[in-house]
Amino acid sequence: MTFAAALLATATALPAIGQERGGILNFARYDGSNLIDPIYAERNPDIWMVSSLFDTLLRIDADGRTIVPGLAESFEAAEDGSAVTLTLREGLTFSDGTALTPEDVAFSLDRARNPDLSPWAGLLGNIDSVTHDGNRITLAMKAPDPTILSMLATFTTGIVSKAAFDAAAGDSDQEKSAAIFAQASAGVGSGPFYLCGFEQGTSMDFCANTHYWRDGADGAPLPYLEGVHFEIIPDDATRVLKLQAGEVDAAEFIPFSRVAELEADPTINMNLFPSTRIIYAPINSRATRADGSPNPLTDPKVRQALNYATNKEALIGLVLQGAGKPMTSPLMAAATQLSTQTDPLYGYDIEKAKALVEEAGLAPGTEITFTTLAGSADDGTIFAALQQMWAPLGIKLSVEQVDNATRGAKNRSGEFDIHTYGWVNDVNDPSQVVGWLGYTPTANAVGTGWEDATFNSLFEASASEMNPETRADQYAQMQQIYAEAAPLLFLYETPFAVAVSDAVEGYVQTPLGNNQFDEATVSR
Amino acid sequence: MATLQYILKRLLLMIPTFLLVMIIIFMLVRLLPGDPAIAIAGDRASDADLAAIRERLGLNQSLWVQFWQFVSNTLQGDLGRSILMRAPVIEVISNRLPTTLFLTIYAVLLSLLIAGPLAFVAALNRGRWPDALIRTVFQIGLSMPVFYIGLILLTFLAAQLRWFPVGGYGETFGERLYHLFLPAVAVALYTSAIIMRNLRSAIIEVVDAEYVQFARAKGLPTRQILGRHVLRNALISTVTLLGLSIGNLMSGTLVTETVFAVPGVGRLMLEAIFARDYPLIQGLTLTFALLVSVVFLLTDLVQSMLDPRMRLT
Repeated sequence: MTFAAALLATATALPAIGQERGGILNFARYDGSNLIDPIYAERNPDIWMVSSLFDTLLRIDADGRTIVPGLAESFEAAEDGSAVTLTLREGLTFSDGTALTPEDVAFSLDRARNPDLSPWAGLLGNIDSVTHDGNRITLAMKAPDPTILSMLATFTTGIVSKAAFDAAAGDSDQEKSAAIFAQASAGVGSGPFYLCGFEQGTSMDFCANTHYWRDGADGAPLPYLEGVHFEIIPDDATRVLKLQAGEVDAAEFIPFSRVAELEADPTINMNLFPSTRIIYAPINSRATRADGSPNPLTDPKVRQALNYATNKEALIGLVLQGAGKPMTSPLMAAATQLSTQTDPLYGYDIEKAKALVEEAGLAPGTEITFTTLAGSADDGTIFAALQQMWAPLGIKLSVEQVDNATRGAKNRSGEFDIHTYGWVNDVNDPSQVVGWLGYTPTANAVGTGWEDATFNSLFEASASEMNPETRADQYAQMQQIYAEAAPLLFLYETPFAVAVSDAVEGYVQTPLGNNQFDEATVSR
Repeated sequence: MATLQYILKRLLLMIPTFLLVMIIIFMLVRLLPGDPAIAIAGDRASDADLAAIRERLGLNQSLWVQFWQFVSNTLQGDLGRSILMRAPVIEVISNRLPTTLFLTIYAVLLSLLIAGPLAFVAALNRGRWPDALIRTVFQIGLSMPVFYIGLILLTFLAAQLRWFPVGGYGETFGERLYHLFLPAVAVALYTSAIIMRNLRSAIIEVVDAEYVQFARAKGLPTRQILGRHVLRNALISTVTLLGLSIGNLMSGTLVTETVFAVPGVGRLMLEAIFARDYPLIQGLTLTFALLVSVVFLLTDLVQSMLDPRMRLT
């Protein structure tokens, strides 16, 4: 035995470090990925896998808010917001062993901000150019952008190998990207894993990237796992059964009705990861309905009344079996930066609700339609509860059940009174969600048609506000305006429910939904 | 020769059928509210993003242009690219079809294995307890939704007793038989209930027929009577029913494949509909139509073999 081998043997046997290595983690997913590419990933099942394959220049710390170095060992933003400089770590490689260079960084960021290619290009719209000098990378900005550091820690800025792209089959960037994904062999990313197997709609395999730059607790490179095997099991009940039968080590999107049962199982760890997921119901706030009739919900007092008459704690009990909390900020989850309020919005107060309805002069027997997702047990429960809760206000609530695509179309065309919806942040900054829920030009304030000039100008000002305190103040004002206007029925926040066998440790789903396996272990 | 002519005629008749199917499915899909562009880019996409996607997919062209392209491409064997899977529709379907065909054939065979013997037992014990028991059990089977039967089978036979795997579909032939046993049973229960009922009354009818009474009077052994006269005659209507059930079985796979996590075309169809993946929905519908047409043709051929009085015209 050579000295080095002996040292290695001792090191791996040391109980003080005791880091379990190796093994494949079997993970049951609710839906499969269709394409994992930082710039083309559009659906959550794609997006949430990107960070395992493609590392970013900056990373978000475990608290979900703080930005820490990633592929860049240091970073500096000019105070006037004109530029960001980053220094790349030495000796970085892609998973195929080739060097990761500043050229790759420029290539990746240029690709990510190209509006002809990426649906996410708008997130990086303020970057004017990406240049490099040695290991230093400079982003020159067209306009100051307070979100730029968050964006450099967002999946879409994951670094890809230029060489792998140039060599891939196909004429367009899209074709090349699809070809690389379909091959499922070569390493083109710099994340803790690379894609090593893919069967459309069935399964997907991640293998450990032995060249990964981050070290584990034992001083050797992460990840601890040899790989992750994903199986796509769309049915909730089947996913749970598969975990209970020991055929998989982890199952995601556990229905909340099953959480207590799994918590009671001694062989299973039921995780409820904090998330930025909020469930709310947009209220059509236009003066008239789509059919031209007057809209009773256009009066903010009526919308406030609906919020007061909704017992959120009761809904959380009914739908989530208690595994959730009422929304405290009208625009974002409490886990998001710049979220201000700490108390639940519109605590249950039926008397106040009745008074508001009377003040607004709402005719008794007013009919309102609630649009829900067909087949969703949660939506069904919410509807039944609201029908009861709102009856004292003289509101006759009827239900309209549609599928997801129809709901999206109705949201855009304004052909609804109230419908259920949800949101998970893609970016570690509230600008995206606030733009979606409140700023009129983005999406008509989530399709409600609500419009407020002060809100819009605050949002525009905050987009280039480099003073963190001023920006925080702008967000506080926007949250106040929005809460008062109540273009939404503010419901609750839900965690990510992932159940794992007791053999699994260190798996995390981040508040943004990303599945992180880099520090996970499985003991057999 | 007559048979060959008949087959050719039937194949020619499929052309207008398919044209009709293409028109109907093309229109139906586009009458659905919802937009593939939103399905791709998500609810959050801006109007400009959606417009770009629609242009890339050719969805901003007039319906006539889109229909003409669909028909002419299909005639050239090109079903387009799946929006959801970002791959040619033919490739996507041919990857998933074998699994569904395996499951369907497996379910048909199981249906016959379950329904055949029990129909005989029930018919020959008409009115007595075995008959009542068999009919009651099948009545329950008929009235339970496939997904419910599936979940019960999974919970008891797979998760608790661990006799079968909960999901997946195996690699080798033997593994497939093992993995797909529960899904096949779940699908087969409904069909076998229908076949059992039909076969039972057919047997009773034949047993009561004069020629059987005559054969019995002649002193032919029961086995020979059952095999040569009863079974052959009772099978005619059952074959028709089985042919008609294939469509049912295939739609059963929509649910079964989701519950049992079997990656076949049934589950694919659901995914395609939810994503408003027009090319994939169209391609799958045509595939289903083709399969059903072929099954109907085979049914007629088998029928004419069983009963020479049935002329192929």
